[in-house]
Amino acid sequence: MSGGGPPRKRNFKIEAFKNRVELDPKYAERTWKVLEHAIHEIYNHNASGLSFEELYRSAYNMVLHKYGEKLYDGLQSTMTWRLKEISKSIEAAQGGLFLEELNAKWMDHNKALQMIRDILMYMDRTYVPTSHRTPVHELGLNLWRDHIIRSPMIHSRLVNTLLDLIKGERMGEVINRGLMRSITKMLMDLGPAVYQDDFEKLFLDVSASFYSVESQEFIECCDCGNYLKKAERRLNEEMERVSHYLDAGSEAKITSVVEKEMIANHMHRLVHMENSGLVNMLVDDRYEDLGRMYSLFRRVPDGLSTIRDVMTSYLRETGKQLVMDPESLKDPVEFVQRLLNEKDKHDKIISVAFGNDKTFQNALNSSFEYFINLNNRSPEFISLYVDDKLRKGLKGATEEDVEVIMDKVMMLFRYLQEKDVFEKYYKQHLAKRLLSGKTVSDDAERSMIVKLKTECGYQFTSKLEGMFTDMKTSQDTMQDFYAKKSEELGDGPTLDVHILTTGSWPTQPSPPCNLPTEILTVCEKFRAYYLGTHNGRRLTWQTNMGTADIKATFGKGQKHELNVSTYQMCVLMLFNNADGLTYKDIERDTEIPASDLKRCLQSLACVKGKNVLRKEPMSKDISEDDTFYFNDKFTSKLVKVKIGTVVAQKESEPEKQETRQRVEEDRKPQIEAAIVRIMKSRRVLDHNSIVAEVTKQLQARFLPNPVVIKKRIESLIEREFLERDKVDRKLYRYLA
Amino acid sequence: MAAGGRVRFNVGGQVFETTTTTLANAGRDSMLGALLDSSWNVSSSSPSGGGVAEYFIDRNPACFAVLLDLLRTGSLHVPPHLPEKLLYCEALYYGLLDHVRAARWGAFDGDRLRHAASVPGRAPGDGTAIRAAPDGGCCVAHGGAVRVYNWMLDERRPVSLDHSQVNDAVYLDAATLLIAARERLGKRDGGMAAFSAASGDLCHRFRVAHDRQVKSFTAGALAFDQDSRIFASCKGRLNEYGIGVWDRVTGEQADFFYEQPGCALGDADKLQWLDATNALMVATLFPKADNCFIGLLDFRAKNVVWSWSDAGAAASLDDKRVLHAIAMEDERSVCVINQYDDLGFLDLRSGAGGVRWSSRSKLMNRKVPGEESCYPKLATHGGQLFSSMNDSISVFSGPEYVLTSTLRRSHGGAICDFSIGGDRLFALHNEENVFDVWETPPPPII
Repeated sequence: MSGGGPPRKRNFKIEAFKNRVELDPKYAERTWKVLEHAIHEIYNHNASGLSFEELYRSAYNMVLHKYGEKLYDGLQSTMTWRLKEISKSIEAAQGGLFLEELNAKWMDHNKALQMIRDILMYMDRTYVPTSHRTPVHELGLNLWRDHIIRSPMIHSRLVNTLLDLIKGERMGEVINRGLMRSITKMLMDLGPAVYQDDFEKLFLDVSASFYSVESQEFIECCDCGNYLKKAERRLNEEMERVSHYLDAGSEAKITSVVEKEMIANHMHRLVHMENSGLVNMLVDDRYEDLGRMYSLFRRVPDGLSTIRDVMTSYLRETGKQLVMDPESLKDPVEFVQRLLNEKDKHDKIISVAFGNDKTFQNALNSSFEYFINLNNRSPEFISLYVDDKLRKGLKGATEEDVEVIMDKVMMLFRYLQEKDVFEKYYKQHLAKRLLSGKTVSDDAERSMIVKLKTECGYQFTSKLEGMFTDMKTSQDTMQDFYAKKSEELGDGPTLDVHILTTGSWPTQPSPPCNLPTEILTVCEKFRAYYLGTHNGRRLTWQTNMGTADIKATFGKGQKHELNVSTYQMCVLMLFNNADGLTYKDIERDTEIPASDLKRCLQSLACVKGKNVLRKEPMSKDISEDDTFYFNDKFTSKLVKVKIGTVVAQKESEPEKQETRQRVEEDRKPQIEAAIVRIMKSRRVLDHNSIVAEVTKQLQARFLPNPVVIKKRIESLIEREFLERDKVDRKLYRYLA
Repeated sequence: MAAGGRVRFNVGGQVFETTTTTLANAGRDSMLGALLDSSWNVSSSSPSGGGVAEYFIDRNPACFAVLLDLLRTGSLHVPPHLPEKLLYCEALYYGLLDHVRAARWGAFDGDRLRHAASVPGRAPGDGTAIRAAPDGGCCVAHGGAVRVYNWMLDERRPVSLDHSQVNDAVYLDAATLLIAARERLGKRDGGMAAFSAASGDLCHRFRVAHDRQVKSFTAGALAFDQDSRIFASCKGRLNEYGIGVWDRVTGEQADFFYEQPGCALGDADKLQWLDATNALMVATLFPKADNCFIGLLDFRAKNVVWSWSDAGAAASLDDKRVLHAIAMEDERSVCVINQYDDLGFLDLRSGAGGVRWSSRSKLMNRKVPGEESCYPKLATHGGQLFSSMNDSISVFSGPEYVLTSTLRRSHGGAICDFSIGGDRLFALHNEENVFDVWETPPPPII
């Protein structure tokens, strides 16, 4: 820029300079022509003849001299014109070449756009931000979007082509995934909105109808397992498709379409499908199918709860059948074993197929709790099962096995509502085991008690532990007794006394029988010894619980050692002095209670192979007119003969009633104690709240009956622990 | 591309030779990067064979030399005779302005600040506020206009609010300026709006609606959080006082925290978002309010989770009144300052206790009676605490916040506001609206 004419005045020079720049309107036009030509050449792949420096400087000058707008508008219209040309050539592409052509032109456009942006970089930095125009690169993308992708001739063809290819692939055709990848990437480059609005939305709609039809077909012809397999495969295919040539953001959307169409819409039908639905899978332990169902259903809302509900109702139904089945009531051990098997089976299903889902475990637990308590003999049976296991079942089993079985039993125990009933039975069974010396392993017994203790607290097991202590002290006492008194005793029968603390043991008061004199002598000596060492105690003989080993010589001189109960011993000892005795004689001499005596005689005379007595007349039952003789002809291969008492292992109906009644009696003070505890702290409370609180407090042991609670409240009112409120009769007050 | 990576430039007649490695420092997104890109060198590489490529550039060789050295060494050395503006123009041509800006001054350190420039103001009357932009520019609000400066301290087109009084301004980002203005009686013109920092144009006006009715309001202090929320203290016509919340992306109102008795929110002097605590600090201070109130608002729970007030404590005018407050960067305490330039701290982790005033007062108090003074201001940056008092700014460092530096210039009078951002400190003086720019020199060579 050379200066104007020589200035006359200093301040004129500045004005001359200013005018000078604004002159030359053709300059801008000329420069633009150069740039326009360059843009065309770039699109024509003819850029090698262009000088970047020159073009850059030209664009710079235009912006510098305030022709930025002209430059920008010119760029816009030139590029629009080029894109219209391109769109024609893409439209002309035939069939399968369409996508290839589109992709090739897109590559070209990108390349050209980069070079144009290079030239116009200065404009992009200065003019564009201050005049709020779209930057060059973005402008190029927008124009491509508007004139190519959204041109009426291309748009629907593009979308249909893409969707057709995807459909083809779903039907098993092989397509050019690389090309698909490029095209979807182009749509994403144009902005996520373009990809979503112009492609993804339609893709999802088409997929939805595709899967809606397909799932209908599948469900008509497949069983549940196969259907799930197919659904899973489809799901995986779609995820794979996304990873190969769709945007990652589509994955959640397309999978939710498949989930809805293939799973959610058919969920109930699948679960209840005849011969192959969920129940059949559970019955047949089809872990793979169950696992697949779990992982698929988990993806849809309410899926898991559907499985859970069906499983729960199935469990309750089968469980109910199991516990109410009169067949299974015959053998308590088998009954519990079946419960345990059922539990094991479903535990395994939950851990293998349902991923140890907590909600499923809860459903399982609540189902068991529901049906175990349907049968009020469950506590007894569980205790019997333990008895069976601790008596003999665990012979040869390792300590770990014992623990496993005990843990399983504890699981069932936890489901019991009437834990106090269980305690009652357990005490009885434990007493029998201890007194008869039948318990196999002291460790196993103690470990069981520890488990009960952790489950229910010290109170629950204190008496059980007391029984163990008694056994130990009895042993010590007997040793001491014989150590001190052996000379005095001479050759008399050996006595083994178990000293049982009253209250710890489930003893029933029973009148003692008449012991044979030999025994009586020893017993008296022991009594003297014991009371001599322990002041202020009282000994009562429980002859109904003892056992005896006696030696007997039979007719041909064969000797046997007979293991019998105390009652049986008393009876047999009578035959030392007589050959035949009538029932009446025996009853008179021994004073054994009639029911026990009958049982005892039955076992001595009516059991084959163990009939040391002979009965006349021969029959299965004992009647009061029978006469008994010593059986000289008794033989046995064994030297030791154990003569069991005929006892029903399972309680008979009247015994059951009796136990029940005792349990109810025991509950009364517990309920009263709870009421008093509650009222003491609350002072005034209405009836319903008391019932609720009492139930809550006693839940760990049993479920108290509201009617019983009401009775206890009335009893407490009678005894003046409580009174009714004078105004509101529903309210009770505590009387201190 | 040239063999051996050598490149020769003829710039305005002077020949420079350099390597492609050096030029790679310019980046692809610069003129030199594009010049050497393969797409522009399809033909030239093959015919020239083994020769060194030469490019002609019709520009000033002296500036090119400086910029080439910048690419070579990463540091900027401007010869005394070379006008800075010319260098900036040339850098803009090559697309290297960001490089120049990065080399121009170093990372902010309150104890190594040097005075870089003083920009004389032209607006009449007192300045209200100065705000540093993230890119090193700044804006000065006074009266009804906001003057905007880029980092080269060239003034851009000012933001005009048609003479509404500006209460606060804040940079949302380098390109967007948020301005809060007072509503004038009879005109529905106050409120809050976003402006383009580059052009001064209005971008978006933020609305407040109560019961679905759009209301006019006076916006006071401003703040924004890391995600997308903007906060402003709002005073409506009909006692609609409180803190408004807007979504930065959509520009729509997202929430409104109505003022509760005992917590003045609508008149707040300062808002500050506390990221770790997930709460907004609101400070309404003397003399705007008779009783100072500082509180933390939790927008999820919709309650005041911590608060302090001197209501009932201050009896006479001579008592220590809190004039400015700032939450420290560790978000454990709030620093406050009084009219005697004492610093005090409030513990944010315990319940509302008293202010622990530090004992350094009196000694530092150089206030000359009769001289016009300004209310002190506080700022934090990189673990340092800054407070303005009269014509100087004190820098406190370390866990105990001991005084480590004082920034003072001889002219301009008392400092009415200052701001730190873009690695610079801007201090606005009371007289004639002159502002000083302080920056940290680039690190020494060894």
